[in-house]
Amino acid sequence: MRMLVLGSRPCESFRIEIPRAEQMADLLRPTTRSSSDGIPIDWGSLGPLRLRAKTLAEGVYAGSHRSARKGAGVEFGGHRPYVPGDDLRFFDRRALLRHDRMMVREFETETDRALWLCVDATASMAYRSAKAPGAKLAYGALIGAALARVALSTGDPVGLAWIGGRGALSLPAASGREAFDRVAGAMESISAAGDAKADAGAMERALSPIARRARRGSIIVLVSDLVDLPERALPAFMALGTNGRSLVVLRVLDPMEASFGFSGHVRLRAMEGSAVVETDADEVRATYQARIHGIAERAALDLARRGGRFVDATTDKPAAEVVRSVVRAVSEARA
Amino acid sequence: MSFLSLAALLVAVFVAAPIAAHLLRRRQAQEEVFPPAELVPPTQPAARRRSMLEDRALFAVRAASVLLLALLGATPFVQCARLGIARKGGASAALTIVIDDSLSMRAQLDHGPISLGKQSKFARAMEAARELADGLKSGDAVAVVLAGAPPRVALAATTNLSAVKAALDGIVPSDRATDLEGAIRLGRELLRGVPHADRRVVLLSDLADGLSDGPPLGAGSEIPVWIPLPELEAKGSDCAIRRADRSGVKVRARIVCSPVRDGKDTAGQTSASAGRTIEVVSQDKRIASAPLGGAIRAEDVVLDVPADAVKDLFVKLSPGDAIVEDDVAPVVHVDGSLPIGVVVDAATSQVATGGPPPIEQALGALQLDAEVRPLAAVPDHADELGAFAGIVIDDVPGLTPEGRKALAAWVERGGVLLSTFGKRAAAAPLGSGFDPVVPGVVRWGASPAEGAEASSAFFLGPSAEGLSKLSPEGRASFEPIAMAGADILARWADGAPLLWRRSMGRGAVFALSLPLSTDESDFVLRPAFLALLERFVGTARSRGGARVVDVGDAFTFDGYKDVAVEYVPGRLGEASQKQEVLEQNGRRLVVASLAGLYVARIDGEQTMRIAMVPEREIDLRPRKITETARAETLGGVQPALDASPYVALGLLGLFAMELMLRTWGQRREATSVS
Repeated sequence: MRMLVLGSRPCESFRIEIPRAEQMADLLRPTTRSSSDGIPIDWGSLGPLRLRAKTLAEGVYAGSHRSARKGAGVEFGGHRPYVPGDDLRFFDRRALLRHDRMMVREFETETDRALWLCVDATASMAYRSAKAPGAKLAYGALIGAALARVALSTGDPVGLAWIGGRGALSLPAASGREAFDRVAGAMESISAAGDAKADAGAMERALSPIARRARRGSIIVLVSDLVDLPERALPAFMALGTNGRSLVVLRVLDPMEASFGFSGHVRLRAMEGSAVVETDADEVRATYQARIHGIAERAALDLARRGGRFVDATTDKPAAEVVRSVVRAVSEARA
Repeated sequence: MSFLSLAALLVAVFVAAPIAAHLLRRRQAQEEVFPPAELVPPTQPAARRRSMLEDRALFAVRAASVLLLALLGATPFVQCARLGIARKGGASAALTIVIDDSLSMRAQLDHGPISLGKQSKFARAMEAARELADGLKSGDAVAVVLAGAPPRVALAATTNLSAVKAALDGIVPSDRATDLEGAIRLGRELLRGVPHADRRVVLLSDLADGLSDGPPLGAGSEIPVWIPLPELEAKGSDCAIRRADRSGVKVRARIVCSPVRDGKDTAGQTSASAGRTIEVVSQDKRIASAPLGGAIRAEDVVLDVPADAVKDLFVKLSPGDAIVEDDVAPVVHVDGSLPIGVVVDAATSQVATGGPPPIEQALGALQLDAEVRPLAAVPDHADELGAFAGIVIDDVPGLTPEGRKALAAWVERGGVLLSTFGKRAAAAPLGSGFDPVVPGVVRWGASPAEGAEASSAFFLGPSAEGLSKLSPEGRASFEPIAMAGADILARWADGAPLLWRRSMGRGAVFALSLPLSTDESDFVLRPAFLALLERFVGTARSRGGARVVDVGDAFTFDGYKDVAVEYVPGRLGEASQKQEVLEQNGRRLVVASLAGLYVARIDGEQTMRIAMVPEREIDLRPRKITETARAETLGGVQPALDASPYVALGLLGLFAMELMLRTWGQRREATSVS
């Protein structure tokens, strides 16, 4: 590593370490994680993510019109820290030299229709029953990637934020060829972890970047099972629906969660928290289903009041159909 | 059972393993990861539900599997053995299975009081007969004979083995006497016609035929007799109630007990009655009772019952003994004086103190409610004879042909005759005689014996002791034909018959080899004479009134059109058994195979019949047998069947059933989940 010394006074001088190419590659490479860091995504038959997401998107945007806007924005929108995968064209060398920090410049356009994906990666999203094709997180990631593909194909930037999760790599809204790969890569490297109820700052960490960066006209899609979220989670998400931003909530449930397909006497342990319930499945099935349905109804009602839309899905439902439903919900929310 | 067998059977303890597994499993319900667990309302702990077996069928199959596994472990040491015959060179054999269906075979195998789970000797004999039948091969010939008196052919010799099994299924126990000699003779006769070289008679009996002093069984023919199952041999002692009559407030029961087994039995030395009680029972309620003496061989016991006692009474002995079936007898009503005709020469039969002949005085002194009618001669017309229930003929010089014929017909219809024989009877003119009542010629001669053998005269009870010194002037002797089928009730010291009895139809004939004259002997002055008269009147009362026969004999119904007979069991809860009415030589008859009360409906009129336990059947001393009768060369109990393959097959079947149940259960679970 070379060391450059700028200025005449040694006491005022500061050293800048210029990374070599291989060191830069290491920096850009996503942080490696061990399996003990979180619950790896059980992809089941839903992988490979990129290929299936592309296939899904092809089936959805066929016939939809493409955006007339091309290229990057023209109005400077500020700086933000560099994250691996950012377009190096916007890397701000001056900021690096001046502040010893890697920054990128952002630009705004008048037609910012960014799609912000906020994906729930808490532990409960790792659940997969015997009949499900994959974990809820895998299904949500697939839908999210397909939506990103659709958005990117129309020139809209796509941002990504996580609720919980281990190795979660939040991405700013970006468009371009590499954006999909970055979104897909971030989704592939995530592990389910965390308890949103116990971690009071989890929702804050996920929503505050979106609140700061999502401009008017942005679409914010929350992909979650809405289970084990703190009571303030949905109101906080609803609060994003101001300033011309549209909200869509995609609830992803496992078929077992939707139908409560247990029988006899069972002992159920939650994946987040320490809740353990011993019950007669046949006796409480109706009550449970009413409760799970009630959550969806309340969320849909609150969203509708703010112009948002609610989409309910189970992981055994065809993904293409769900993507279409979300695209339709996005269109309705924009309208 | 060896230690290894025991250890293998201990594996059966693990039958509790499925239960323990269930109990351990039910402590923790099946735990599942379920993210929205907080949305699931808990229910109350279902301890009761969890303690229930989820799949009873599966549990039963698994428990049975464990048991069979234990049995399989023990089966190399446990073998099923069965009775089988030994074949000469493997050739086909012909055998007659003689099954003793007499009363004594009702005794339990361990000759103790009846208790649950014990097996009667008859049941064991039938089991052995079936084992023999199962071991037969194609070509073997089998006949089945029943040894209850009279011996009967249940199945003639046949090679149809299924017919053998069917015949065995039709055999039921009876209360008959035993005639082993006759049965063996019959069995040998059945085998004479078969071509098999290997022939034998298999006797399944307790050997108690009342002739313990007779010649050993199994000798005297080229067809050997095989007597397996030594455990059947009669043991113990027994008392029976032969009959019970009620006259007014008196119930008179005839008790017969088996003699002691040392072969030196004398009156007064029996012990079967010791410590026992006779009771009169009405609807399970005891209304009279009396202890039995400790030395009863054959005795009448009189009990007083209340005058207002109901008619349906039973007499029973308690506690039970070797054969409980003969400890109960119905009480039969006898009403009015019994007409007894007496033909006696007052000139020869008299006592120095004067008065009527001794027999008339004795009958009057006994107060047997008998009306004594002196007759000048034996009536030779049926109408005249029909007026009497019993007739005593004292030393008459023969009977005319008409008289003999009428007398025989009267006896067969139920009359009881006591005939004494002396000088005049022996001097009967040509053309006169006593046949068929007493066949053959009667002779008179000096008696080589001074008196009777008291031990042989148990029929007369304790009074038989006084017969040991009769010092007669002479005695009558009979031809052997006269003894055929007769019961010797008392013998002279040299073995010649003093008193014997022979049944003829419904009636009976008592014959005494001394006249009633005090000039010839002082028999009429002995207490035994009173005992004889008491038995005679009792017999006449029972045969003439209630129509009593010994079991094995037949009730006859001559001249009636509509006859239906039912046996009324002595035990409560048992249903009446309809009896088959047979036609034999133009006569309608019903053979009584069980002791007790029979109700006959004759042309619309209901009457009672009684079948009594045969007196000689109470003698449980076994008959001697030849040494070869139990020879192993004839057969034996062979380990014929190893149960292991069957147990293993059963185990395989259970495993298959468990797999099926589990598959079915999984499908049912999958269906309910979906």
